[in-house]
Amino acid sequence: MSEATRLRDTALAAIAQARDGAELEAIEVEYLGRRDGKISRQLLSGIAQLDPSQRATLGQEANEAKRAVEAALAARRAEHEAARLADIGETEEIDITFPAPELKRGHAHVVSQVRRELEVIFARIGYTVEEGPEIESDWYNFEALNLPKGHASRDVQETFFLDADEEIVLRTHTSPVQIRAMQRIGTPPIYIIAPGRVYRRDNLDATHLPYFMQLEGLAVDEGLTVGDLKGTLMYMVQSLFGRERKVRMRPHHFGYTEPSYEFDTMCGRCMGKGCRSCGGQGWLETGGCGMVHPQVLRNGGIDPDRYSGYAWGFGIERMALLKYDIEDLRLFYENDLRFNRQF
Amino acid sequence: MRISYEWLGEYVDTKGLSPVEAADFLTMSGTKIESVQVIDLSAIIVGRVLEQKDHPSSNKPLWIHQVEVGGGKVIQIIAGAPNAVAGTLVPVALPGTRVPSGTLVRDAKIAGQAGQGMLCSADELLLGEEREPRIMLLDRGEPGESLAKYIPPDAILEAEITPNRPDCLGHIGVARELGAAAGREFKANFMPPYIEGVQPPASELIDIAIEVPDLCSRFVAVPVTGLKVGPSPDWVQRRLRAAGVRPISNVVDATAYVMLEHAKPTHVFDAAKLAGKQLHVREARDGESLLCLDGQTRKVGPGMLVVADAKGPVAIGGIIGGEESGVSESTTDVVIESAGWNGVNIRATSRALGLRTEASLRHEKGLAPEMAMAAARRAAALVRDWAGGKVHADWVDVYPRPQEPVRIQLEPQKIDGLLGVRVPPDESQRILRDLDFQVRDDDGTWDVLPPVFRVDVELPEDVVEEVGRIYGITRIPATLPGSRHTSWNIAPAEDNHWMLREVLLGAGFDEVVTPALVSHRSLQRLGLAEGARTLFNPMSDEMDSMRTSLLPSLLSVARYNQNRISERVDVFELARVYRGSRADGLADEQIHLTALARVDSAADAGRRGFLRLKSAMDRLAQDLVAGTVRYLREAPHLYHPGRTASIVVGGKAIGVVGELHPSTLAVFDLDGRAVALDVDVEALIAARGDRKATELPRFPAIQRDIAVVVDMSVTAGELHRAIKESAGNSLESVRAFDEYRGDQAGEGRKSIAFTLTFRSPERTLTDAEVERVMSDVRKRLEKKHGARFRS
Repeated sequence: MSEATRLRDTALAAIAQARDGAELEAIEVEYLGRRDGKISRQLLSGIAQLDPSQRATLGQEANEAKRAVEAALAARRAEHEAARLADIGETEEIDITFPAPELKRGHAHVVSQVRRELEVIFARIGYTVEEGPEIESDWYNFEALNLPKGHASRDVQETFFLDADEEIVLRTHTSPVQIRAMQRIGTPPIYIIAPGRVYRRDNLDATHLPYFMQLEGLAVDEGLTVGDLKGTLMYMVQSLFGRERKVRMRPHHFGYTEPSYEFDTMCGRCMGKGCRSCGGQGWLETGGCGMVHPQVLRNGGIDPDRYSGYAWGFGIERMALLKYDIEDLRLFYENDLRFNRQF
Repeated sequence: MRISYEWLGEYVDTKGLSPVEAADFLTMSGTKIESVQVIDLSAIIVGRVLEQKDHPSSNKPLWIHQVEVGGGKVIQIIAGAPNAVAGTLVPVALPGTRVPSGTLVRDAKIAGQAGQGMLCSADELLLGEEREPRIMLLDRGEPGESLAKYIPPDAILEAEITPNRPDCLGHIGVARELGAAAGREFKANFMPPYIEGVQPPASELIDIAIEVPDLCSRFVAVPVTGLKVGPSPDWVQRRLRAAGVRPISNVVDATAYVMLEHAKPTHVFDAAKLAGKQLHVREARDGESLLCLDGQTRKVGPGMLVVADAKGPVAIGGIIGGEESGVSESTTDVVIESAGWNGVNIRATSRALGLRTEASLRHEKGLAPEMAMAAARRAAALVRDWAGGKVHADWVDVYPRPQEPVRIQLEPQKIDGLLGVRVPPDESQRILRDLDFQVRDDDGTWDVLPPVFRVDVELPEDVVEEVGRIYGITRIPATLPGSRHTSWNIAPAEDNHWMLREVLLGAGFDEVVTPALVSHRSLQRLGLAEGARTLFNPMSDEMDSMRTSLLPSLLSVARYNQNRISERVDVFELARVYRGSRADGLADEQIHLTALARVDSAADAGRRGFLRLKSAMDRLAQDLVAGTVRYLREAPHLYHPGRTASIVVGGKAIGVVGELHPSTLAVFDLDGRAVALDVDVEALIAARGDRKATELPRFPAIQRDIAVVVDMSVTAGELHRAIKESAGNSLESVRAFDEYRGDQAGEGRKSIAFTLTFRSPERTLTDAEVERVMSDVRKRLEKKHGARFRS
């Protein structure tokens, strides 16, 4: 038996006996240490004096012994590691039922969230967001939308005025942004939405607010139809509430659209059958819409002989109310943080 | 508008069509039916009262009736009204019956007396409204017979009529709609038949002068003489009640009936009470007034129209008649008025008087003057038929502004093009004819004549709407627009406002949305009223001004929640504030982001709160790549004078961060302290820059901490600047991380600790190199700020 083999066997026996990482470490230094390892150094100390053939044999034997010891060390270390990890389930156990501290993050207001959802939903089909002033001129809010002074159709929107001449108003709807957007953009295609605050002289109660958020939509392009309007509203409602929720349009009247419609969303509780929360109707009134009146297009600087358009508008709070079964509109502006933090 | 389904059936074939089905046809064609109340009287029977006695022991006024209910059977019924005396015929609901109003009748014992059914009032049968408890009395029938034998079943449809369709504020208009929508025969005529009339001609009895032809386009006056005022027929009274009108007398009921049929109000004067035979339609004069039919005296004046006789006003035109010239029991000769009024003027007068009548709410929508003759003919016929009397010939019809006929040229392709569905031309034409339009195909272009009562139809688009709503919106396929556009609006995906929200949300702030309408008084109290825009017609002084700052709103939210939740209130809002008046009268509307945080009562809580908001501000700027934010000591109104800074981004002051002045909190009755951040969002976004990646460092950094002891008056900002100036190129960053005030710093002194990071882009720095720089830094701080150093 060569010296190399003997050293190897002694080392392997020691490795087999080693109880922990530290002992293995010591064995590694003893046999393979760079400065004075029994195999790596001492074994080869007299190699220079040997003749070439013996020199080669010894070198080869030493190398083999070194590799065998290294392999044994790695295997033994892996065994030790496995043994160490085997029982951490017990030794390092924590109580996973312990309640987690709340992540310190605020809640976006539910109206903001629904508004944002709508913005994203419409952005996906090519609509951009437009804004307009809330303190608005009578012309943009009424006249340009075919709602002349003294006309009965103004009755439905009780107006806050800022001056005795009734020339400056708090906008009663987001529809004036239609005119401003047409004027700003100029040449169709125009696909915009305009979310924002509006104001009406309504008394505050569970179903009315003197101020609320509306979302207006306007599309002006060549060849737009009532069918396109219908598809757009269905896309919106179904994106917001789910594929099974239907939209119902009913002919109606607005000065700034022709034809005009109101649109209803299928009641989510009874799915159209009629229940208490929809007053037995199966549908919940949602908003107004229609094909933009040719005079309104003209007021926005658009040629009605070449282009047609559709527009719609609804209350964002109302959408939030439909989405989350909120019973009272006042909750949106009360800012009881216990309510705000539910969303 | 209340529609009697039974009445509707006179003008349109409703056989086999239930009220609910009809309601659906109407709703889906534009006449929204809000509710349907079915009146089925088949379970109610006729009873004859044999005996009526006072209840012997009840505290409430009650009467005990013995009622014969057929087959010789007599039952005892207790009722709370005294009018069902012995011998009267009454409607009886036996136990187990549900009456139309919804009540289920049961056996009951009231104060010791057994009752076996109910005597019904008109209210309970939905046949009318009574002001006091009153049993409905019948004028015929035999005990035990079903009431349905005498009173046909009915249903009340509550309809929402849009302002463009005043012609549907009457049963004929709605019947026409139902006929077209449901494919049912429409049986009425817009224009009732001509009445020959007797001599002398009308012109010898009455003369009409219109002084304001722009406001009164037509006046038809029909004299009827020798009539007898009395009750109108039962069926008329029943229909009026069903439609929500209280019957008065045959002559007055005739005008109500015509209005509910033709949607056109008329008025009847007692000819004997008119001074002179000439009536003027003119503007009211200053100081005039009129005792009106509702018993109230109203002042009228310029701008309002009156019908006046030789002595003065006898009616407020198109709104209400005068009491003195009205029909009474002794009236024998009348003049029927049917006139065309200007809707805008009627609306203005009605608003000025605070008076809305059935007549004004129809006239204010601008009824077609052609309707005046139709209503006059119908009213004259009904007065003649119900009250007797002779209608005189050759009616006075002053018509200074004849209604212009409307003719619309329609390319039929426009129907398909606008609706997005192919409607067969003969179907379009049938729809239009069902709605009383005339259509002539003129070489491919349609010549469309709307009926005279449809003044809302003027454009081809209006005609398309008519076709579309009857054709049916449900038959139009839903599509999304798509075409090969060669230009487009660009739409960057960043949403700056949402990005700002995310920063505050991430910092633990809850978003609130608060009203922009606030009280001007409270703005004044806070010194925020300058430039505030106030409302001319506020609903209350709590909401009479537009806000100039979000801060009061947030403080109100904090106050509202103070006793409701125990945790900290950290809130923010992103919304507009409104100030000033531009040349066009609009306001300067600025979007602000304002945050408010309550802080606890620990000694350095104010400082920590301040730094928390400053962190938020730094992050806002960082996310927008808006460059370094500078904070300058400032003492703005409402803020703590020693703990507030103005925020400078890109050389522009864009907001304020600081602790609120204790007196600000006191106004809101808030405990403790609070800090606020208020930023002009547009200004911040204007500073937005482009984000560019920087190369990662290849050599390690060396860090050194240094604790600098200086006088209280020296700021971290000054030390920061001095360090940067003296540390040379190898200084990568410097950051203050702690401030200490206490014994170890010495009297009037404080210690501020900085971390300095050194790095070279070319090699690894040595400790010796860094030590040399640190020595320079210390020297500079010592010299410039009298600094000492703690280790």
